This record gives sequence, C-alpha cells and structure tokens, in this order.
Amino acid sequence: MPKDRSEKVRVTIDGRSIDAEKGKSILEVARECGIEIPSLCYHPGLESFGACRLCVVEITKPGWEGWKKLVTSCLYPVEEELIIDTRSEEVRENRSVVLDLLLARVPESDVIRQLAAEYGIHDTSYTKREDADTCIMCTICVRVCDAIGANAIATLSRGPDKYVDVPDKDACIGCLACALSCPTNAIPFEEFVNGKRKIWGREFDLVYDEISHEPIGTPEQIDHFAEKSGLPKEYFLKSDKVRKKETAVTFARVQF
Amino acid sequence: MNSETKTKASKKKAAVLKSDTNGKLDQIFDLYPREEDSLIMILQEVQDRLNWLPPEALDRVADELNVPRARVQGVATFYRAFSLEPRGEKVIKVCLGTACHVRGAQILVDELERRLDLKVSHGCTKDGRFSLETVNCVGACAMAPAIVVNENYYANVKPDKLDKMLKKEQQS
Ligand code: FES
Ligand code: FES
Repeated sequence: MPKDRSEKVRVTIDGRSIDAEKGKSILEVARECGIEIPSLCYHPGLESFGACRLCVVEITKPGWEGWKKLVTSCLYPVEEELIIDTRSEEVRENRSVVLDLLLARVPESDVIRQLAAEYGIHDTSYTKREDADTCIMCTICVRVCDAIGANAIATLSRGPDKYVDVPDKDACIGCLACALSCPTNAIPFEEFVNGKRKIWGREFDLVYDEISHEPIGTPEQIDHFAEKSGLPKEYFLKSDKVRKKETAVTFARVQF
Repeated sequence: MNSETKTKASKKKAAVLKSDTNGKLDQIFDLYPREEDSLIMILQEVQDRLNWLPPEALDRVADELNVPRARVQGVATFYRAFSLEPRGEKVIKVCLGTACHVRGAQILVDELERRLDLKVSHGCTKDGRFSLETVNCVGACAMAPAIVVNENYYANVKPDKLDKMLKKEQQS
C-alpha cells in the first residue's frame, strides 16, 4: 500500500509526545525533533541499510503489558502509540557492545574512539585487528556511488576478509562523494597536488571556473553529471559561488 | 590487502589463456536473459568452461549483461565456488579438518606444494593439470588423513603414497 506522506501517527520519544509523519523511520522522526540517536551507516540521501546497529532504541506499546524490544531505529517505521526510549540502560548496553566490537575492528579511528569513549569504552575488550584501516563496512561509499550512477565501488570477498575497493579504475569519475560521505574517513584522497586530484589510485585533472578560477571538479565528473541530469554541460562548468552571483543578478532583473 | 599482487599474477596467466577464452564463452550469453539476475548463472558457466574466472572474462560478462564491473567483481569474490585464480583440470583437496590435521595432513600439503611446485589456492601446474586446495573436513574422518581429487577419495594417505596418487590422476 502506498504510504500517504501527510498521514500522522502519534508516538512518544523519551517522554515527549510527537505527531510523526507515517512512513518515516524512528531515527528520522527523532532527529527532526532534535533528539540525537547515534548512527554510522545511515545516510539521509540513501535507503537505510541497518549494518552498524548503533542506532538501536527500545520500543514498547501500551498493549504490550510491559514487554519491550530493541530495534534499529533507522529501519523501524513509526507506528501509532509507539513508545520509544533512545537511552535506556538496555540501549546503552547494546551500543556499548557494538562500539567495543567496532573498536576492535578499527582501533585507529578517531571517530569510533570518541563514540566509544562516550559509552565509557576506552580500550576494546576484544582482539584488535592487525594492520587495520578505519573502514567499518557501513557500505555508504558503495551505495552513494551507485546512487550517483558511477557504480564503481563494491565490497569484495566475504566474512572477515571483506573489503571495499574499485575493481575497475575507469569506472570512477573522481567526484569524491564516497570519501566525503565516509563516516570514519576511511577513503584517502589528495587534492591540488600539482593541480590534480587523487583517489582510488587514480589521478584526475581538475576543471576550474573561468571567472572565479575556483576548482569545480574532474572532467569525468562534469560529463557524468551533465549526462545523468540532462542539463547542458555549461551548467556544471560554473562554481557554486559564480552560479549564486548570476542567480542574484537574474533575480534583481526580475524584481525591478 | 595482498589482492594487488594476486591480480598481477592472474593477469599474466590470463594473457596466456586469452586466445581460447573468447571463443568458449560465445554461446553462454544466450542461455539466460541478459540481465543482472543471470549473473551468478553466467559466472557458473564461465567457471565450468574455463575452470576459473579470468579478468577479461569478467569484463565481458559485465558488458554482455550490462552490469557494473564492480558488482561482477563483488559477486565473483563472494562465493567460494568461483575461483579468480587459474584452476587445474583436477583440483586436489587436502583435508585439514581436525581428524586429518592431527594425523599429519599438513605434511601432505607441504609435500604436494613441493612436488607440484605450487602454492595452496594459487594457480595451477604448468601443464594446467592440477591445482591445490585445502578444505576443513570432507566428512571422511575415519579415513583420515583424506585427500579428494575431483570425485576420487584417497584414504589414510601417507607422504609415500602421494606419488602413486599423482600418477593415477595424471593418467585418468
Ligand atoms: S544507522 Fe541504523 S543500523 Fe546503522
Ligand atoms: S577432518 Fe578430514 S575428513 Fe573430517
């Protein structure tokens, strides 16, 4: 059944009564009301994936006779009468286990270390992964790259050996969306070394705005966006700043 | 990740096999609808015909099915049934399960690596005849240590029985 976005359901989050839009996830609704739930694999532009389990919350309903359960808030849609606790003892304990495990996987990640510290974990109780990078397998990079339509990144292998890579370097358009979306900064890149951009072992030229001389992106990226959007290429040859300026001029003309 | 060196090695061997790769694959793409859902079936067909998945075969699969190359690589590396290294016509599987292990299976592995001039899960003999793999328990613990070559089981294998086994498998 298609969800009517304007339909409302009444939920309670941390004691606050909220009219939430039906179809949204608990995580989305909570964040809209300024209630912070930690997350790692959630990305507002992508379908929820439920990989990291950090966003767990506890739910119950009046009819459940005190029965409660833990759910991943990025996947669980709000329902009428739902009572949500985002920081119960149980929730904190579960997140602690997740962070303890993540810390064993990526002992060098500042992001995970800081999150773990917030839950009182300063050193993992598990065996640390050797030669660890900071990838936590959230697959945001894979999903972002697919959403953009470059489809260059994949998870390779399986189980503990699983890793993320670009098997066909030619598919990458050098747009940096993966690196900039990565929650743990696990994808290294370099900008402006001899006027080039480097990512995934490949070197890209940079295109500059003719007026402001600001870097805009790689030629591959501009071609790709023009093709996908159907907009003329010239549109993508301008920096944000120049485009805003032009819009202002256009508006000034329209107004007077 | 040592995948870097691995790919290099397979690329070299791929070049050798290149000439006969393409012809063998011509018919398989008409067996299934040309869509992403056929990916696993097509990869199985490639594996059946070539005994492994050379990089240029994967390029072609991506092209023919119109599936991103990255996704093909993801699937090909996910399943144990697919090999990204050249495999021999016959795969020698030495069991390293608990029973076989305690009865000296590791010695058999070392010995086979030496005799075949081959590393476990790495390529095949120069004549393309054999490749070597280890498995964890083939369900024949009473015959430990056990070796399986394609469908043939060898029981209570001792290092001095390996010569006979190899000779037999070489001929059949
Ligand atoms: S954010 Fe919900 S599981 Fe990762
Ligand atoms: S351990 Fe080798 S057959 Fe079971």
